[in-house]
Amino acid sequence: MSGSLVQILEGNTFVVSDNRGDIESSATDPTGLFSFDTRFLSRWVLTVNGQRLNALSTDDLQYFQTRFFLVPGSGSVYVDSKLTVIRQREVADGFREELRVLNHDNEPADLQIRIDAASDFADLFEVKDALKKKGRYRARVQDRHLVLAYQRETYVRQTWISSSSPPDIDEKGFSFRVTVPPHGEWKTRLDVVVSNGSGVAVADPEGGPTRIRGQRRVRTDMERGLEKWLRQAPQLECDWEPLERIYRRCLTDLAALRFSTLTMPNRSLPAAGLPWFMTIFGRDSIFTSLQALPFVPELAATTLLALAERQGTRIDDFRDEDPGRILHEMRYGELTAFEERPHSPYFGNADATPLFVVLLDEYERWSGDTKLVRDLEHAARAALAWIDDYADLQGNGYVSYQRRNNQTGLENQCWKDSWDSISYSNGDLPGFPRATCELQGYAYDAKMRGARLARQVWRDHAFADRLEKEAADLKRRFNRDFWLEDSEYFAVALDGDGRQVDSLTSNIGHLLWSGIVEKSKARSVARHLLGPRMFSGWGVRTMAEGEARYNPIGYHVGTVWPFDNSFIAWGLRRYGFKEEAACVVAGVMEAAEVFKGRLPEAFGGYPRMTTRYPVQYPTACSPQAWSTGAPLLLLRAGLGLEPQGDNLIVDPALPARMGNLEILDLPGRWKRIDAFGRGRIDTDRVTLR
Amino acid sequence: MPKGRNSGRNSGRNGGHIMTGPADPVTRFFAALGKPGHLAIFEGDTASVRLDVLDGKKVERWHVSIAQGDVAVTRGGGPADAIIRVERRYLDAMVTGRLNAQAAFLRGLFACEGSVGALMMFQRCLPGPPGATGRVAPISSKTVMAERGIR
Repeated sequence: MSGSLVQILEGNTFVVSDNRGDIESSATDPTGLFSFDTRFLSRWVLTVNGQRLNALSTDDLQYFQTRFFLVPGSGSVYVDSKLTVIRQREVADGFREELRVLNHDNEPADLQIRIDAASDFADLFEVKDALKKKGRYRARVQDRHLVLAYQRETYVRQTWISSSSPPDIDEKGFSFRVTVPPHGEWKTRLDVVVSNGSGVAVADPEGGPTRIRGQRRVRTDMERGLEKWLRQAPQLECDWEPLERIYRRCLTDLAALRFSTLTMPNRSLPAAGLPWFMTIFGRDSIFTSLQALPFVPELAATTLLALAERQGTRIDDFRDEDPGRILHEMRYGELTAFEERPHSPYFGNADATPLFVVLLDEYERWSGDTKLVRDLEHAARAALAWIDDYADLQGNGYVSYQRRNNQTGLENQCWKDSWDSISYSNGDLPGFPRATCELQGYAYDAKMRGARLARQVWRDHAFADRLEKEAADLKRRFNRDFWLEDSEYFAVALDGDGRQVDSLTSNIGHLLWSGIVEKSKARSVARHLLGPRMFSGWGVRTMAEGEARYNPIGYHVGTVWPFDNSFIAWGLRRYGFKEEAACVVAGVMEAAEVFKGRLPEAFGGYPRMTTRYPVQYPTACSPQAWSTGAPLLLLRAGLGLEPQGDNLIVDPALPARMGNLEILDLPGRWKRIDAFGRGRIDTDRVTLR
Repeated sequence: MPKGRNSGRNSGRNGGHIMTGPADPVTRFFAALGKPGHLAIFEGDTASVRLDVLDGKKVERWHVSIAQGDVAVTRGGGPADAIIRVERRYLDAMVTGRLNAQAAFLRGLFACEGSVGALMMFQRCLPGPPGATGRVAPISSKTVMAERGIR
């Protein structure tokens, strides 16, 4: 492996290589060409006269395109610096690589150029877990292509590779014998195209990328246009200069995270993370759509349609599916195909279903798109029915979760999905089922918002009354059963015996967002969130200092998650805690500045005073969709943007150092509107009341 | 017993509408699918699917059309948004819930031409695995801790 990893992608097709453009993966090494959760190239190595190349520079031109400047020789000693090799690569249904060799000498150069190619056809899950393959491999030369193939029973995956200049093809790659004239150039184009079946490759007569006959192509971004995407988004100007960079980074990363399904090739929704999570995730796609709603509302519409299309219809214990449930994760690889993994799709989450209704309502409040609300009436009703009929595992009127697939299902079916995220204060782990607190908040919010849609769009007043009555009852019970009288905050969960799981966690911030908290208890909740045990200075920790499992670099037990904080800030605003919300906005935005605009999934929960810089939590995915969306929601919270009828209310409460902030052309039912705010809150001096 | 469990879990396409009689599983499935005449989950949708069921040298055709939730099932050909070619043994397994259609598709057990949306709609008409209960025994805190090696 030479140097850092380079990744480019388009939809769910992506390439991870070293900084020379080479791929040399081992069973567990995550480099390669991947598409539909399968590795289609595990080896792609360029040599000139038998020598590897050395990277001079690598330019990421676009998220789907990159260029490598190379010279022969390895290490710091250049054996021959009279040659430059330029590899330019672009992801399509596979990738297309232009290879140029420049001779800077006064003599002609006789060269043997070689590309080695091979594939292990590993499923993404196998790359993670290093599992053994059960099928057969075959490489062959056919119709001027090198065809790498894998077959297990009727499951066939192939990689077709061709070149624009006539090569010598063997079963391990391509060779070119060329003479490059003095100060001249030689070039060729290599097309790598993936086949999800036994289809054969056909060249495009117009010179476009090769394609597989009969296979649907996912639309590529070259057609979608990144520039257009950026141009159509609202414009932001701010006295605090880093904010403009953060905003632009968010929009560009959101563009890269767009994902089209085969049923809606012309629309896009946010996938969960780049590159390993370029697929539909119920929770992640919904949260990101909520965050981005004021800026790019069409993501929400596509998310809702795509999730409704795949909503559960039956009881399936392996997939944790129930009627009305919204999916958790969709995958397309070999292990899913052979039902060795349940992702076809897997439904094991307890939050995406109520959040589906929340997003539908919030989307309508911004867009005025009542047609979509009518089209999705049945899906929304089924989601609301799921809350009562299938999620109440304990018969106590609360949403609980427990996996029915105890081999490959998820234990914690809430956003904090690691094994130790939910614990008692003393570190003990509760049994199952578990009813985490934020799920009750989402259920409450779904019922309230469902009632509004029923009354205003579906014209079913009886249903609306019933939902409101249930919501009020849930709120009353929740504030009684989850409230820890002595500590004055909400338990993170009720365990299988109805006992309070008493650790202090950021989940209570989501409760403010949902509206389930009684007014009299809200101040205590806000005080805890901004208090020294939870607020690091950069943001609110997932778990409070002082809890037995607290660890500032523990995944869900002490790190700060930007996404979590964005919803907490929204929640604080909902209950009128403007100054406290501004503290969260300031902390996370300042962290974003340190991370050059791209917030990681999580960073260390160390106190800001000790580390001075936020410490990044090591993570496989960057950008992560809901971290990308976090600054957008923080902007909304800071400016106090709230749709009311056909108007957009702007009620700014911004950190003083931001100075003037304006966002122009916010789209919505008001067509386009501008929002202005001036930072007046000295967030260093906010005192908790 | 949680409310709604009894009423919710055994209704719908999981266990309801299955006719008894001598017919084969495919015939039983399509008869049951067409019987209600209307499926609320498809009220926003309109699409049609034709299944060419291959059985040795014989081909049996079924046509399903859904128009804003109204379902019509006929035996025979005709144009459709999606055409599925499938061997009888695999369709038997799918209509009895023993084979997941999405997984089968990824595995190449059947071919589909035309609209993916129509195929997905058909998939959602299929029953879940036989014997799925939707239930699981609670696990105590002690067991969870022991499994993690925590005392």
